[in-house]
Amino acid sequence: MKSKKFYLMLVLVLFGALFLVACGGSDEPEETTTTSETTAEEAVVDTEATAEAEAAMAEEEAMNAEATADAEAAMAEEDAMNAEATADAEAAMAEEEAMAEATEEPMEEDAAATDGPTLTIWADETRAPVLETLAEQFKADYGITLVIEQVAERYEQFNIAAPAGEGPDIMLAAHDRLGGFVESGLVAPIDLGAKVDNFTPESVQGFTYNSELYGMPYATENLAFFYNKDLIDTPPATWDEMVEMGQALMESGDATQVIALTGTTYDIFPLNTGFGGYIFGQDADGNYDPTDVGLDSEGFIASGDFLQGLVADGLISNTTDWDTAHVLFEQGDVPFLMAGPWALNRLRDSGVNYGIATFPTGPNGEVSAPFLGVQGFVVNALSENVLLAQTFLTELVANDDIMQALFDADPRPSAWIPVLEKIDDPDIAAFGEVAPSASLMPSIPAMSAVWGTWDPAIALILQEQETAEAALTNAATQIRDAIAEQ
Amino acid sequence: MTTSVSEQAQTGRSTPTATITGMLLRLILLGVFDIGAVWLITGMFFDGYWPLAAMLAFITIAVNIIFLREGMYPLRWMAVGLSLLLLISVYPIFYTVYLAFTNYSDGYLLTKQQVIDQKEGDVYLPETGQAVAYTAYRSPDGNYVLWLQSENPDSPLNNVLAEPDVDIGESTIEVGDFDENGIPNSVAGYERIPTAGMFVALSELDKILFGGTEQGVQVRGINEASQVQQRFVYDPGTDTITDQQTGIAYAPVNGQFVDEEGNKLPQSGGFIITVGLDNFSRFFGSSAIGGPLFQVIVWNFAFAFLTVLMTFFLGLFTALLFNDLPGKKIIRSLLIVPYTIPSLVTILVWKGMLNEQIGVFSNVLQDIFGSSPPFFTNPTWTRFAILTINLWLGYPYFMLVCSGALQGIPQDIYSAADVDGANAFTKFRKLTLPLLLVAVGPLLVASFTFNFNNFNVIYLFNKGGPPIPGADTPVGYTDILISYVYKLAFGGARGSDYGLASAITIIIFVVVMVITLLQFRYTNMWEAGEDV
Repeated sequence: MKSKKFYLMLVLVLFGALFLVACGGSDEPEETTTTSETTAEEAVVDTEATAEAEAAMAEEEAMNAEATADAEAAMAEEDAMNAEATADAEAAMAEEEAMAEATEEPMEEDAAATDGPTLTIWADETRAPVLETLAEQFKADYGITLVIEQVAERYEQFNIAAPAGEGPDIMLAAHDRLGGFVESGLVAPIDLGAKVDNFTPESVQGFTYNSELYGMPYATENLAFFYNKDLIDTPPATWDEMVEMGQALMESGDATQVIALTGTTYDIFPLNTGFGGYIFGQDADGNYDPTDVGLDSEGFIASGDFLQGLVADGLISNTTDWDTAHVLFEQGDVPFLMAGPWALNRLRDSGVNYGIATFPTGPNGEVSAPFLGVQGFVVNALSENVLLAQTFLTELVANDDIMQALFDADPRPSAWIPVLEKIDDPDIAAFGEVAPSASLMPSIPAMSAVWGTWDPAIALILQEQETAEAALTNAATQIRDAIAEQ
Repeated sequence: MTTSVSEQAQTGRSTPTATITGMLLRLILLGVFDIGAVWLITGMFFDGYWPLAAMLAFITIAVNIIFLREGMYPLRWMAVGLSLLLLISVYPIFYTVYLAFTNYSDGYLLTKQQVIDQKEGDVYLPETGQAVAYTAYRSPDGNYVLWLQSENPDSPLNNVLAEPDVDIGESTIEVGDFDENGIPNSVAGYERIPTAGMFVALSELDKILFGGTEQGVQVRGINEASQVQQRFVYDPGTDTITDQQTGIAYAPVNGQFVDEEGNKLPQSGGFIITVGLDNFSRFFGSSAIGGPLFQVIVWNFAFAFLTVLMTFFLGLFTALLFNDLPGKKIIRSLLIVPYTIPSLVTILVWKGMLNEQIGVFSNVLQDIFGSSPPFFTNPTWTRFAILTINLWLGYPYFMLVCSGALQGIPQDIYSAADVDGANAFTKFRKLTLPLLLVAVGPLLVASFTFNFNNFNVIYLFNKGGPPIPGADTPVGYTDILISYVYKLAFGGARGSDYGLASAITIIIFVVVMVITLLQFRYTNMWEAGEDV
C-alpha cells in the first residue's frame, strides 16, 4: 500500500519524462528546411533526450524501491538536467545514470545511520513551543528526532492527511473529537500499563471510547465561576441569589448587567445543568446514549426560561460574545463571568480583582456542571511507527518532569496526579475544585449535530424570538432527525 | 481552433523530414512513458485511488493520440502543459464530482484496502501464548537478537536467545557472561542495546519475528515481547475478514465490515464506497428543501445583486469624481486601501466596531441617540451591516476598473454631445455608462458570481445569524446558499459529510452556471447595441 503522495510525485516525474519526449522527436514543420545540418542537430537532441529520459526512469526505479527518497530524486533530476546542458550526449548518458544512483544511495544510508526514527507531532501554538524545547533533549538522550508542527485546523487536516499517509505520528487532541477519529479508524489504542493509576480517572475516562483507551491524557479543563471581588464579597450560592446581587449592583450604578455570557453552547452549559438539563443520557458505565437527547428536557427548558426572563427584565444582554464578555468583566462593568483556565492570563493582565468559585446551584439544589474537556496525545493508526509512538508516550512523556513542563507552559489542571497534587497556583486549584462536578464532554460523533442546533436555539431564546420550549423542542427534534438519518 | 492550426501545420509542411532514427526514438520514448504510466495506473488502481488512476489513464491515451497522429502535431508542444492542467485543475473538479457519489464522510475516510491492511496488522495473544521480558542486541550490520526471560522458570522462553528465522532453543550463537539479573552482557557478534538506545531500535524491532514461526515472539513494547498471532485475516475469495480469535467472519456491507448480526468489526473504520445518487436524494428529500431554502435563495440573489450594484455605482462615482481633481493620485491611492487589506481582517474590524455592547460605532450612536441599532440580532440591520461591509470591501475594485475604462472613452463624442445640447446627466446616461459597460460588463458578472458564493463576509460577521425561528434545520436570516450547505454538510450527526457537501456543491455550481450564462447573453446584447 503506497500513499497518494508517492503516486503524485511519480506522476510528476513521468510528466517530466513526457516533456523530454516532446522535445525529443523534433521534426516539427517550422524547422523543416531539409539540410543535413538540422538532421545532425536533431540526432544530437534526440540522444540527449534519451539520456534524460533514462535518467528519469532510473530515478523512478530508485524511488520505487525507497519512497522516502522522493526529495533526493527530485534534486538528482535537477542536477541531471543541469549537467545535461553542458555535457556531450553520450557522456551525459553514462554520467547521469551514475549520478542518479550515486546521489541517492549514500544519502539514504546516512539517513538511517545518523537520524534514527522521526516522530512527527501536531500541536497548536501554545503547546508546540513546549514540545520543541523537549525535542533537543529527546534527540540527545534517545536518538529520536521529534518534528513538531503547528497545524491550523488540525482535526480537519488529520481527517484528510492521515488516510493519505501524510498525517503525524502523534497529535495533540481534545477528547471530544475522539469518537469521530475512532469511528474512522484513524487512531490506535494505547496501553498505559501500570502508569494508568497516575492519571486522574476522569481524564482516562475521557479518552476511553467503546471501553478502549485511545489516547494519553495530560490535562483537563473546565469552566469555573468568576466574580469581581471589588463588587461582591461572597460568591452567590444559587443562580437566583446571583441575580439578586447583580440587580442590586445595577440599581446602584456599579454594574451594567448581572452576568456577561460568553457563548451559547459550551459556555452556557453550567446554567443548563443547574436547572436539570442535559445533552445526552448516560448508561451505567458513563457512556453517552445518542438516542436520549435532553435538549428539550424539563430542566433544559427551565434554564431557557430563566435566561429569557433575565433578558426581558433587562438584566443581561441579548447577545453573547466571548471577547465582549471578558472585556466587560475586566472593566468591572459586570460582576460575574463563566470562564476557563485559558482566560487566566488575560484576566491577570487586566488587573481586575477576580475570585474563582464553584458554580451557583439551581433552584432545586442541582449542581451546575460545566463540561470537562481532556487534552491528550493520540497516535495515528496509519503511522509507520505506531509502536514507537505509543512507547514514546508511555515511557518518555508520562513522567513527572515532562508532565510538569507541559503544565508550566500552559497552566491547565494536570491529568498526571503527582503534578496535580503539587499545584500551588490558587487559581488552577480553584478550577480543580470545580472539576469533580464537571461532566465529560460527549465524544460520540452525534455531538456534531448538537453544536449546530444548540447555538441557534439559545440565540432565539435570548433574542426573545421564541419561547424556550418552542426553540429547544425544535432543536431536539432536529438532532433526533439527524441521528436517525445517519 | 485546433483543426485550423493543424491544417496550417500540414499545409506548411514542405517535406516530411522525420528520419527513421528520430521516429524510432520517439516511439521508444513514448513506449517508455506508456510503460511507466501503465505501471502507475495499475498500482494506483489496486491501492484504491481509482479516480486518480482514471485521470492518468485518460491523460496517457490523449498523449498517445497526440504523439502518434500527424494531424495532432502542434499539440505535442502543449502536451505537458495540458496534462498538468488536467491533473492539477480538472482532476480536483472531477474528484469532487466523484465524491458526490460516495459516502466519504467522518467514519468513512479510508479505502477498503486501507481497512484490510490495517486490520491484518492487528495481533492478539492466544491463550497458549506467553508474554516475556526481553533484552535486545544489535550487530554492526544491523541485525538483532533477543534474550528472553519469562516469569515462569520452566517456560521454554525463559533465559533463551531468540534469533530471526531460527526456532527457539536452536540458536547457536555464543552467549557471554551474565550480569546480576541473569542477562548476558554480550552475545558473540552482537552488542547489547542500552535502554536509551531502545527507542531507536524499536522502530525496526517491531517488524521482526524472533524465534521461528512456531514459538516466535514479537516485540510489543520497550521490554515486552509476546507470542502474538495475526488476529484478522482477509480472504479475497469470499471478501470477508475473519477474526482468528473468535472465528467470526465479517463481510462488507454499506462501507463497513459487519458480522451476521450486524456488529461492526472491532476498532475499525468504515471505508469509502460509491452510493449512487444517495447524497442528492438526501439533500432533495431533507427538510432543508422545504422551508428556509427559498428564503435563503432569495436573500442570496438580493445580496449578490445589491452588492454588485452598490459597489459598481460607488466605484464609478468616485472614479468620475477624481477623474480631474487636484491631488487625485494620492486620494485614489488612499481609497484603494480597503481593497488591499485582507478582507478577513476588515470583516473582523467591522464586526468589532458594530458590536452592540462595546463597539465604537454603537457606543457613539448610543451617546447621541440614546440607542443603537441591533446589528447582530435584527435580520434587517444585520443585512444592512453585511451590505455595508461588502460595499466597503468592493468599491475600490470598481473605482480602479472604471478609472481605467473612462480613459478609453474618446473625448470628441462629448464635444459632439455638447453641440447637440446634451446636459451632464444625459451625457452620462447616453454616452459614459453604455461605453463603460462594454468594458466593465463582464466584470460585473464575475463580481456577481464571486459574491454569490461570498462565504467569508457572511460567516465571519454573524455566522449567517440571527437564526430563523422554527426552521427545520439550523439556518439564519443572512445565510446564503454556500454557508447554509456548510452548516448542513458539517453539522450533521455524522460530523463532516464531504460526500453530501460535494453533491450540494455541484447543485450550486449548476445554479451559478445557469445564471452566469444568462448574464453573459445579456451583456452581449449590450455590446451588440453599441453597433447601432
